[in-house]
Amino acid sequence: MIDRRTMLKGSAGLAAAGMLGIPSFSRAERSDELNILCWEGYNTDEVLDPFRAMHPGAKVRAESGTSDPDMINKLRAGETKVWDLINVNQPWAQNQLYPEGLIKPLDKARFEPFFETLLPEFRGPYPLALDKSGKQLIGIVQRFGPFSFVVNTGKISRAMAEDQGYKLFLDPGMKERYGVLTYDNWNIIHMCMVADLNPFEALNDPQFAKFDTAAKAIFGGAKLLTDDLVAMNTALINGEIDAYFTGGTYTASPARYDGQSQVRGITPKSGPAGGKGGVVWVEVTSAVNNPDPSPLASDFLAYVQGPEASKKVAFTEGTYNPVAQMGSKDVLDLFDKDELDAIQWDSLNEEMARSADYQIVASYDRLSDIYNAARRAR
Amino acid sequence: MERIEERQGLLSALPVLILLGAIFLAPLLVVAGFAFMPPKVFHLAHLPSFENFRIFFDQGYHAPLLRSLGMAGAATVLLFVLCYPLAYGMAKIFGRFSLAITLAVVATLFVSENIRLFGWVLTLMKGGMLPGHLEAWTGLEMDGLLYNLPIIVLGLTYAYFPFMLFPLVQGISMVPDDLRLAASDLGASRLRIFLEIDLPLAMPGIVVGSLLTFVLAAGAMAESKLLGGQAVIVMADEIETAFTYGQNWPLGSALALILILIVGGLAILALSKIDLDGIMGRRS
Repeated sequence: MIDRRTMLKGSAGLAAAGMLGIPSFSRAERSDELNILCWEGYNTDEVLDPFRAMHPGAKVRAESGTSDPDMINKLRAGETKVWDLINVNQPWAQNQLYPEGLIKPLDKARFEPFFETLLPEFRGPYPLALDKSGKQLIGIVQRFGPFSFVVNTGKISRAMAEDQGYKLFLDPGMKERYGVLTYDNWNIIHMCMVADLNPFEALNDPQFAKFDTAAKAIFGGAKLLTDDLVAMNTALINGEIDAYFTGGTYTASPARYDGQSQVRGITPKSGPAGGKGGVVWVEVTSAVNNPDPSPLASDFLAYVQGPEASKKVAFTEGTYNPVAQMGSKDVLDLFDKDELDAIQWDSLNEEMARSADYQIVASYDRLSDIYNAARRAR
Repeated sequence: MERIEERQGLLSALPVLILLGAIFLAPLLVVAGFAFMPPKVFHLAHLPSFENFRIFFDQGYHAPLLRSLGMAGAATVLLFVLCYPLAYGMAKIFGRFSLAITLAVVATLFVSENIRLFGWVLTLMKGGMLPGHLEAWTGLEMDGLLYNLPIIVLGLTYAYFPFMLFPLVQGISMVPDDLRLAASDLGASRLRIFLEIDLPLAMPGIVVGSLLTFVLAAGAMAESKLLGGQAVIVMADEIETAFTYGQNWPLGSALALILILIVGGLAILALSKIDLDGIMGRRS
């Protein structure tokens, strides 16, 4: 549909093209369309509708993926022509998407003012939102969360779980008392931690053997495996299991917000990743290197960092998560007590301090083979 | 004259053949092509390699394949045993009541499979409808009934019930009653009538039903994920993992190709043994 605004824009464009002698068949920008590929939350009407109201006539569409690799597969399969923004966890943009030309840099000057609104750990700016040289801004950060494991604090105390860390799952008393949430890329990281290995360093053969032992022990003792966090929380609440490997605020928050505050994400006090035992994911939203880009992409990244939109992104349907923009009082004030409790705001600072960044796992290919073989042999 | 007619037939079929080629065959060819690419590449422009098939044997992928085929086989046998008496009733005894059963079974297909399986999860989980009630009535603590291998087979049996039932009804209705009566008059026992008349004459329906359920169950993943808690890892799961977390499209393609070849081979073998025209009602 052509409304007055696009009509005026179009005629202004035509006039300008005529004056400059630009052939009028040159490709126009897709100013009436924005396609976002994202984790669930950004695709809700709550988040999108205010932006749609700001851009009447524009078709704003968002589709959620079920895993980072799933979404990245789409770009690799040639869908850079389709999408304008991609929202995935932090290691991918700097290490794969940008080097492979699937995303492009953002206008740093436009987004620098937003850094002030972020929590201190993201203000720097956040290193993984930059390219490897540190010069280009390749994404903006918003949702994040510590991710290690989850316990029912009615059965296992928080203090004990934090002290024991991943060794908890090797306790013979825990056999058949825990589940494995099959977010495979996370489990590989945390099974390294079980084996006292730093997942982000290249490993050698004896270390692979230790990982193999740990993977077999974790899979061998698990009561259930599922990639469905609701099913896992249900099993935890109804007493089928007492803990699950792996999980964090992202997976525990829906149950906590539902009043089940005994479901709690745990960050171990120490571990082998530079002394840290927890891992934190941070979503980085980047501009896809679309050959026919939409100018709305960058507008959306600015819009979504505003207080109202930030709160909505943190608390849409599905899971509830802290957002980096909570460094601003305007954003923080929008959260009530129950909401803060759902995302474990009380311990977020200390959990972040005990967590290493989710990075590319140096020996992922080999570890993935061992991991899958252990799972297969279950 | 006949040759022109033949050509006309081919020409009229051409648009459909092109459409089928593009939307059905082309993706399969891409999968087949990727299966022979070196691991972890994302384009078909590489020298062919058999590496993925070596990985299949070296890394124990035969285990999930055998599990998938085994569970599919078990579900098929169970479904045959469960559906045969019902199908016999629907074809020969129930009369107009068969329509009610047909509608009831078809109605389940209107609800997505995942949602129906979640219904089972709520029924069978610890404190769920079944163990919860038993616990309340007996006072004994009941564990959940989920997360084991038999429950996966039960899920497969439940999900593919209609796919066995309806071909069986069709097959059994092809058995002439006169023949059964004649055999009985000549002194054949019930078992003998079943083995020598019912089974052979209903065979097209049995083969089609078994094939449908086996092929679908061999590629099924939801039952193992939702009900089984992945107590065992099935082949479809391994294929998904290779394509997603593994970022290894060639390995995923090779695993898919192996499954397609085995299941397709079985299907062709089975279909070559029966008269499909018969069951389609086109026998002249």
